[in-house]
Amino acid sequence: MNPDFPTQIDLLQTDTLASLKLFAPELVLCGTIVLVLLLRIMFGRRLSTSLLAFVGSAVALGLAISQGFSGIERQEIFTGMLVFDQFAVFMRIFLLAFLVLFVFMTARTGIPDREDAPDFYTLALGATLGMCLMTTANHLLAVFLAVEMASVPSYALSGILKGRRQSSEAALKFAVFGAGAAGVMLYGISLVGGMLGSVHIPTAAVRLTDMMLAGPSQPTITVLALGGLMILVGLAFKLSAVPFQFWAPDVFEGAAAEIGGFLSVASKAAALALLLRLGIGMCYVPEQSLNAEPTEVTTQAARKLPAQVASLRANEHDRQPFALVALQEPEADVQAPVEAPAAEPQAAGEAKAAHEAEPAAVTTGPQTRQQALEAVRRYLAMLVAVLAVATATFGNLAAYRQENIKRLLGYSTIAHAGYMMMPAAAALALTGRAGQDDATWAVGTLGFYIVMYLFMNLSAFLIVALIRNQTGSEQISAYRGLLKRSPGVALCFSLVLLSLIGIPPLVGFAAKFAIFSSLAEAGMIVVLIIAGLNTVLSLFYYLRVIRVMTLEEPAVSEPIRMPVLASINGFFVLVLTLPLLVFGIFWEPVLNWALTSARTLLY
Amino acid sequence: MNLLTEPVGVAHYMAVGAVLFVCGAVCMATKRNALGILMGIELVLNGANVNFVAFSSRYLQADPSRALGLDGQLISLFVIVLAAAEAAVALAIALNFYNNFSTIDVDQADELQG
Repeated sequence: MNPDFPTQIDLLQTDTLASLKLFAPELVLCGTIVLVLLLRIMFGRRLSTSLLAFVGSAVALGLAISQGFSGIERQEIFTGMLVFDQFAVFMRIFLLAFLVLFVFMTARTGIPDREDAPDFYTLALGATLGMCLMTTANHLLAVFLAVEMASVPSYALSGILKGRRQSSEAALKFAVFGAGAAGVMLYGISLVGGMLGSVHIPTAAVRLTDMMLAGPSQPTITVLALGGLMILVGLAFKLSAVPFQFWAPDVFEGAAAEIGGFLSVASKAAALALLLRLGIGMCYVPEQSLNAEPTEVTTQAARKLPAQVASLRANEHDRQPFALVALQEPEADVQAPVEAPAAEPQAAGEAKAAHEAEPAAVTTGPQTRQQALEAVRRYLAMLVAVLAVATATFGNLAAYRQENIKRLLGYSTIAHAGYMMMPAAAALALTGRAGQDDATWAVGTLGFYIVMYLFMNLSAFLIVALIRNQTGSEQISAYRGLLKRSPGVALCFSLVLLSLIGIPPLVGFAAKFAIFSSLAEAGMIVVLIIAGLNTVLSLFYYLRVIRVMTLEEPAVSEPIRMPVLASINGFFVLVLTLPLLVFGIFWEPVLNWALTSARTLLY
Repeated sequence: MNLLTEPVGVAHYMAVGAVLFVCGAVCMATKRNALGILMGIELVLNGANVNFVAFSSRYLQADPSRALGLDGQLISLFVIVLAAAEAAVALAIALNFYNNFSTIDVDQADELQG
């Protein structure tokens, strides 16, 4: 039944060679890491690691951009471990562009000294490599490996200020909680993979459809729901979502401001992409694999790992009785599994909202199969929506009494993670609709928000780092009268904070408006209202910082030597803050790019 | 289903895995020593490993086509390697913490609050 050994080797070789070409940006990152480590042995401290890391990440970014801004069809690479599509390229360009800016920023603010620089950049490049993998994972093993590859270097990065008590405390908390969350996630993966009999996500989704149509037993549903919940624990930790947010403020306060920028932008974006990949991957089965023509399965199988050929063949047999089941009215079967997830205690409010997203009942074969996953979709969308609402509200409420600017930004990051999970929930709820345009819109708005969040948060942390270098303080009181001491920086920081609130001419408004529209589309009115209230809540603590900067008298009268445009640092601040104005008005190109990319996620 | 009277199948291995997982989770929640917590994490990971290896076997499943096959065993191998890497980083961080605080009691890590 399996192809013979030489054929298998042949298939594997062609597959790997073809995949390596598409994997070039990540390979460049790997090469840079190896170079940094080797050249350090040869040159010691004379090596300018930041330059090397900058060149490496810039080359990787160039390669990623050369893969194109549109028109990439979905294809599985490395025997189905990873997936390559427009969305993957979108996230890859985003992450690598962030890495380039991050390397430049750390070189300017000088957080890694000559001694630490090779370690620092190795860890940063390694973490970004892991994040790129997170956005392309198509296999539960790849999911777990990618999450760990992104997390483990982050633990070390947050403790990079070795002599500082606070830094080492932050790293310890991050490492212990992170490792625990990863362990729980792995256990969840083992339950889900074992129950579905496949760890290849699209195959697992087909199995799940089969199972839902056949009317699964109660224990199976319980184990699957539990496994899904445990996987969500790992993701919620990466996203710093309530109730797994407790590490975030401590890490943001204890670690250097630059690391805060890294964790809040790149790590969060990768976790959101993984949430979409896993969520949509599990509760969406594309039309072509629903029709299940035998010929198609064989052609698919030819491109797959020989080991998986067997499982796909087995699948073929599974499908035979299935057509018969699908012809009967499956509504009655589907009802039973709906009950179990809906019984989740907190979910009552959201259940109603998700209900409205239900597609019109259709009776053709593939459509009913698509509908079989509606219960799964509703369960996931509800869970994510509840987490999102709780996270945004918690972040905004806890940010009030903060005196440390990094801690305040940490809570602001939590709140924004909540906002960003909302369109993810909307996308999950909308995947069942025919045409996929609504779900694409939700995913696209999320991509747009992620890109805009880069400019908002990276510039915020950059300004915090620059002011720390000048004043040696990260307390909000150190910003007293900043307008008089350094008008340009105060103006830029005010723009950033106003954009984080979402005040109209700035890009924060366009981003918030986009995600709110996707919530309205999904009929999640309750979530929409809470998100709106949260925006009002967030007004006060951001405005407090602006008030301290503008209205209060400076404690020291000497100016901070950092007038905008007079130095490279000032120019860099401008480069990061100007897009807030520019994209606030001309946001269509970015949104269109995000939408084009989102389309391939729902192939 | 009574596990004691059934022939050995996936369920038995899952029970062992679940016991390991719960032991690990309790260990993580109650230990104050950072090394104790790391041991708890190892238990959790190995609980998952037992599951993976059991799921990968064709002979334990009622329906052999539902077995994970080599995938399951490979995942366990990767997890073993990853656990070692993670433990190395976590130990280094614990050592760094010890240098600054002269203890590895996680309850002493309470300077960052609010």
